[in-house]
Amino acid sequence: MAGADRAPGSRVSFRQPSILPGFGLTFGFTTVFLSTIVLLPLAALVLEATSMHWADFWHTVLSPRALGSYRLSFGASLLAASINLVFGFIIAWTLVRYEFPGRKLIDALIDMPFALPTAVSGIALTTVFAQNGWIGQYLEPLGIKVAYTWLGVTLALTLISMPFTVRAVQPALLEVQREMEEAAETLGAGRFYAFRRIILPTVLPALLTGFTLSFARAVGEYGSVIFIAGNLPMKTEITPLLIVIHLEQFDYRGAAALGLVMLVISFVMLLAINLIQAWGRRLQIRIAR
Amino acid sequence: MSIVLDQVTKHYAGLPVVNDVSLDIGDGEFFVLLGPSGSGKSTLLRAIAGLSGVDHGRIALHGRDVTHVAARKRGVGLVFQNYALFQHMTVADNIEFALRVRRMRAKARRERRRELLRLVALEGMDERLPAQLSGGQQQRVAVARALAHKPEVLLLDEPFGALDAKIREELRRTIRQVQRELGITTVLVTHDQEEAFAMADRIGIMHLGRLLEMGAPHELYSSPATRFVATFLGAANLFLARRTPDGIQIGATTVAAAERAGGERENEVVTVVRPEEVELAATRAALSSGYLASGTVDEVVFTGALERLRVRLEKHQEHTPLLSSGEADSTPTLQVTRTQHEQRGFEVRPGQQVAVGVRRVHVLPTPLSSFTACASSAARAEALTHQPLLAELVARMKTRIGTRIEPQLGLADAPCQGRDTFVGTTVISSGELCAQEAEWLLRRGARDLLALPPQAQVPHRVLIHWVGEAARSATLAISASVLRHVPAEAVYVGIVPGDAAGTGHGQGMRELLDARSEAQAAHGLDMRTELHYGEGERQLALRLAEAPGQMLILGVTALADFTTRFQALLQGPWPVLIVRRGRA
Amino acid sequence: MAGIPITGSLVGDSSRPGQRTWANAIVRWLFICISLLFIAAVLLAPLATVFIMALSRGIEAYLHAFADPDTLAAIRLTLITAAVVVPVNTVFGLAAAWAIAKFEFRGKSVLITLIDLPLAISPVISGMIFVLLFGLHGWFGVWLQEHNLSIIFALPGIMLATMFVTFPYVARELIPLMQQLGNNEEEAAITLGAGGWMTFFRVTLPKVRWGLVYGMVLCNARAMGEFGAVSVVSGHIRGLTNTMPLHIEILYNEYNFVGAFAVASLLTLLAAVTLVIKTLVERTGYRRR
Repeated sequence: MAGADRAPGSRVSFRQPSILPGFGLTFGFTTVFLSTIVLLPLAALVLEATSMHWADFWHTVLSPRALGSYRLSFGASLLAASINLVFGFIIAWTLVRYEFPGRKLIDALIDMPFALPTAVSGIALTTVFAQNGWIGQYLEPLGIKVAYTWLGVTLALTLISMPFTVRAVQPALLEVQREMEEAAETLGAGRFYAFRRIILPTVLPALLTGFTLSFARAVGEYGSVIFIAGNLPMKTEITPLLIVIHLEQFDYRGAAALGLVMLVISFVMLLAINLIQAWGRRLQIRIAR
Repeated sequence: MSIVLDQVTKHYAGLPVVNDVSLDIGDGEFFVLLGPSGSGKSTLLRAIAGLSGVDHGRIALHGRDVTHVAARKRGVGLVFQNYALFQHMTVADNIEFALRVRRMRAKARRERRRELLRLVALEGMDERLPAQLSGGQQQRVAVARALAHKPEVLLLDEPFGALDAKIREELRRTIRQVQRELGITTVLVTHDQEEAFAMADRIGIMHLGRLLEMGAPHELYSSPATRFVATFLGAANLFLARRTPDGIQIGATTVAAAERAGGERENEVVTVVRPEEVELAATRAALSSGYLASGTVDEVVFTGALERLRVRLEKHQEHTPLLSSGEADSTPTLQVTRTQHEQRGFEVRPGQQVAVGVRRVHVLPTPLSSFTACASSAARAEALTHQPLLAELVARMKTRIGTRIEPQLGLADAPCQGRDTFVGTTVISSGELCAQEAEWLLRRGARDLLALPPQAQVPHRVLIHWVGEAARSATLAISASVLRHVPAEAVYVGIVPGDAAGTGHGQGMRELLDARSEAQAAHGLDMRTELHYGEGERQLALRLAEAPGQMLILGVTALADFTTRFQALLQGPWPVLIVRRGRA
Repeated sequence: MAGIPITGSLVGDSSRPGQRTWANAIVRWLFICISLLFIAAVLLAPLATVFIMALSRGIEAYLHAFADPDTLAAIRLTLITAAVVVPVNTVFGLAAAWAIAKFEFRGKSVLITLIDLPLAISPVISGMIFVLLFGLHGWFGVWLQEHNLSIIFALPGIMLATMFVTFPYVARELIPLMQQLGNNEEEAAITLGAGGWMTFFRVTLPKVRWGLVYGMVLCNARAMGEFGAVSVVSGHIRGLTNTMPLHIEILYNEYNFVGAFAVASLLTLLAAVTLVIKTLVERTGYRRR
C-alpha cells in the first residue's frame, strides 16, 4: 500500500501520504454525492420515524396487519434462503465438479434473476404457476396452490435470491484443492467422510454468507412478489407492500416506522454477514472435528 | 521387497505417460524418482498411492497386490508439493486426521501426535492453523500427517518445490533423519538432481514415461548407460569416438577403455567426458593426461569453489567428431570445470589458446552412435536428412548426421564409392528399390540400417523381431536404445511356423519369455510379447499394416534371398531398422 | 459474478482403483438432473412464458402493442432515466474507486460499507425516503410547491430513486479490481512526469476498462428494470411517469396480457443482452476477485 511505511515521528494524520494526486477531488466528490443521494434521504427516514410518539410508533409497528406481514416476509424469506442453501449448493457443485453439455449456458443463466427486472419475473412466475399455468395446472389436482398463496411468495423469493447462494458457494468450492481430497483419501478417509470433514467445512462460510445474502435480498423484495402474492391483508401481504399502502394513504409516518423496522433488520443482516465471516474459521474448526 | 512395480503402464489421451515401468524397492530404502517435468514420475507416484489407476501392469506393496485397491486402503502416506494441509484444521487436527478416521481414542491420538511433532521438530505448534505457519513448517506438518497412521510406505511428490533454498536444505535433512529413524520405505519424486544425490539410496531416472536407469547415485553419475542420463545428471560432454583394439580413440588420443567389448570389431561409440575430467594446459607437452585437441577459451565464469569454462575446440582431423551441442555444423564447445587448485596452477582468460586433455572417458554402452544418410545423389541424401523421424531422433539423441553418396547404390556387383567402412547407422529411403539397396549396403559392411518412408513420424509402437539367434542380443540392445528416445510401446513379436494347434507353440512361448527376460535383465527394456503363427515376413507385414504409427526393428543374420524375402516389408509406410549381426 | 471454468485437475482421474464408478455416476447424474430441473422450473419456464404469452395472439398483436403511445412513452422514459443515471453513477464509481483504492485513510471501511448500503435496503424504502423528503407532506414539500417544482411523481424523483438503487454497482466492481491491480503503474507514471488526469486516462482507465464495462452493464440493467423504488415515487401517471416495469404492471392489471408480456419481452431481451456482454467481458480474462 502506498505510504504504508510512514516515516517515524511524523504526525499521525487522516490520510497516509502518497505521490498519487486526486485524493481531495475524488474523496470530496464521493462523500458529497454519497451524502446527498444516500445518507440525507436515509436520515430523513430515521427522523421521520423517530419524530412519532412512542405509542403511535408501537401501534403502527405492532399492529396485527404489520405482524402478519412480518410473518410472511421473514418466514417466506427464511424458507427461500433455506431452499437455496440446498439447491444452490447442488447447483454450484454441479457447475464446478461436472462437465456436461450446456454447462456454460446454465452457468451464465444463473445470473438471470440479477439481470431480469423483478416485474418481469413476477408476471412470468404468476402465469406459470397460476391454476391454469404450465406447472400450476399439474399442481392444482394435487391440492397445491402456488399463485396467490404464501407458496407463491416463497417461490418468487427463491427465484430472485438464488444467484446469491450459487455465486457465493462456487468460488469456495473451486478453492477446495483436489489435493486436499486426495490427501484425505490416502489418509484413509472415505468419500462421505472427506466430504463432511474437508469439503463442507471449507465451503461453510461461503454457504452461510450466501444464505444471509439471499435472505437479505428476499426480505426487501417487492416487484416480483406483489404479482404472485394476491396481497390479502394478514395472509399474503408482505411488509414492503404494507409500506406502499401506508404511503398511498399519505401516512408517511406509518410508512417510515415500518421502513425503520426493515432498515434495522437490514443492518442486522449486514452485521451478521460480517460476523459470520469473522466467526467462520472457528466454526469450521469445530465442525471439522 | 517393499514396493514392486511390474510393467506398469498408464496412458493419457492415447499416449503412454508411464511406459512399462518395472521396479523393486527394498525395505527401508530411500528411492528417488528423478526426471524432467512430463517424464511421468509424478503419475507413477500417484499410481503407487492409488490416486491414479494403471492401464496395464501390477503394483504390490509388501507382497500384497494393490493394483485394484483404493488409495485409502493402501496404507501409504503421501506428501504433496503444495502441502495440501486442511486449511480449516489446526496442526493437531491435521495430524490426527488419519487416526480419527481409524477411530483411535483421544489419548492415544494425542500421544501419537506428540511423538510425530517431536519427530519433525514442531513441538508446541499443535493449536496453530496452517495459515499461521511458514512454508517449511507446513511441509513438516504434512510429513507428520502422512506418517500418523504408520504407513508402510512414504511417498513424497516434489515436497520441496515450493520452498526456498535454505529451508529446503533443512527440511531435506529432517526428512532423511525421520526416514532413517523409522526405517520406512520412501519414494521421493523430484526434478532436482542435486536433491536426488543428497537423499537417495538409489535413484531411478525417468524420461518420456520410461524408467531409463536405476542405481546408486555415484554409479549413475560415473557410468551412465544412456545419453539422457549422462546429460541429465550433471553436465557432460558427449563425443563420438572409435573403439579400436588398442582402446578408445578419441580425438588425437587413445585411452584404455574400462569396459572392453569382447571380440567386437572396430566400431563407433559414444563417450562421456565430465567437465571435471577435462584438463587444460598451455601446451600439449604440459598436459598430464591424454591430449584431445587444442582450443580457444570462450568464456570463464567464477562460481566460488569452481570455475566454469567453455572451450571452443578447433575443427580437427577426422576422428574428433564432437556432438555435445547436437548441431552438426556449429563449432563444438567443451564444458570444463576446474577447482581453485587447478586455477592457480594455470590461469586462463577468454580468448586464450589452450591444449585440452581428458583424464577419464566413459563409453556409453549404447549401440546407436550417429546417423549417415545414404542415397545415390547429394540432393537425395540431403533431402533424407530432413526426414521428420530422423530429424527428431538426431535431436533427441543429441547426435550427428552425415551424408554418404553412392551413385551406384543398389547395382549388383558395383563397388562402394565412399569410405569402405560404415560408421553408425546408415539411413536409406524406403520404396520399391529399398530391399535391393539394403542388401547392397549390408553386403558391403553396413551393420545397422534404417529404412525410412518420407513422411514417417515418431512411432508409438515398436515391433521387435529377429531372424537368426546371432542377431538377438544386438537387436535387443538397439531396441532398448531406440526406445529410450521414443515414447513408444515395445512389443516383441514371436512367430511360429504353422498354426496355433501346431507343435511350435510351446517352443514359441519359451522364446517369448526368454526374449522378455533377456531384454529386462541385460538392457533394462520392458517389452510386451505377442505370438503369431505363420510365415515370418508376412505376419510382420500384417501386424505393421494394422495401424499407423508403428515401427519395426528387425534383426537378421544371413543375407541369402534378402531382397525377395523382405521386399514387402521394406516397401510399407513404416520405418524399419535392420540390425545385422553374426557371420557375413 | 464470474462464470467459473472447470479445470482439468478438478475433473480428476476416472480410472482410480477401488472406486465404485457406478455410485459416482449415479450421484453425478442425480446432481445434474436436480440442477437442471430446478433451473428449468424456476428460471427457464418463466422466461419462456414471457415470449409465448407475448406472441400468443400472433406477431401482429405483438407489434401492435408497441404502437400504443403510452407504451412508447414508457420506453422513452426508461431510456432517458438510464441515460442520466448510468453516466452519473459511473463518474461516482470511478471517483470512489480512485479515492478508496489509491489511498490509505481512516474510515475507509466505513465508506465502503456506506456505498454498499443501498444493496441491503428494500427498494420500497429506497423510494419512500425520497417521498419523505420531497413529497407533498415531506420536508421540502411545501417549499417545492411554493416554487412550483415537482420532484415526486415526476421525472427527477424517478431519477433520484433509480440513482439510489443503482448507486453501488460501478463502484463495487471497480474498488476490488483497482485494489488488486495495485498502484505501481500509476506511481511509475507520476514519477515519469505525467499529470493526474493523464495518469488516470492513459494508465488506470485502460487497466480497469473491463471492470468498468461490467459495472456499467449491471448498473444499466438494474436502472432500466427497477420496479419497487420507482413505483413509490412515480405516481403511475400514464404517458408521463410510467417506466417500462411500471407499465407492465398497469397493463397486467388491466388483463392486457399481450401488451404486458410484449413490454416484458423487451426487458427480458435487455437482460439477455446484459448476460451476453457480461459473459463476453468475463471471457476477456476479467474476473471478479
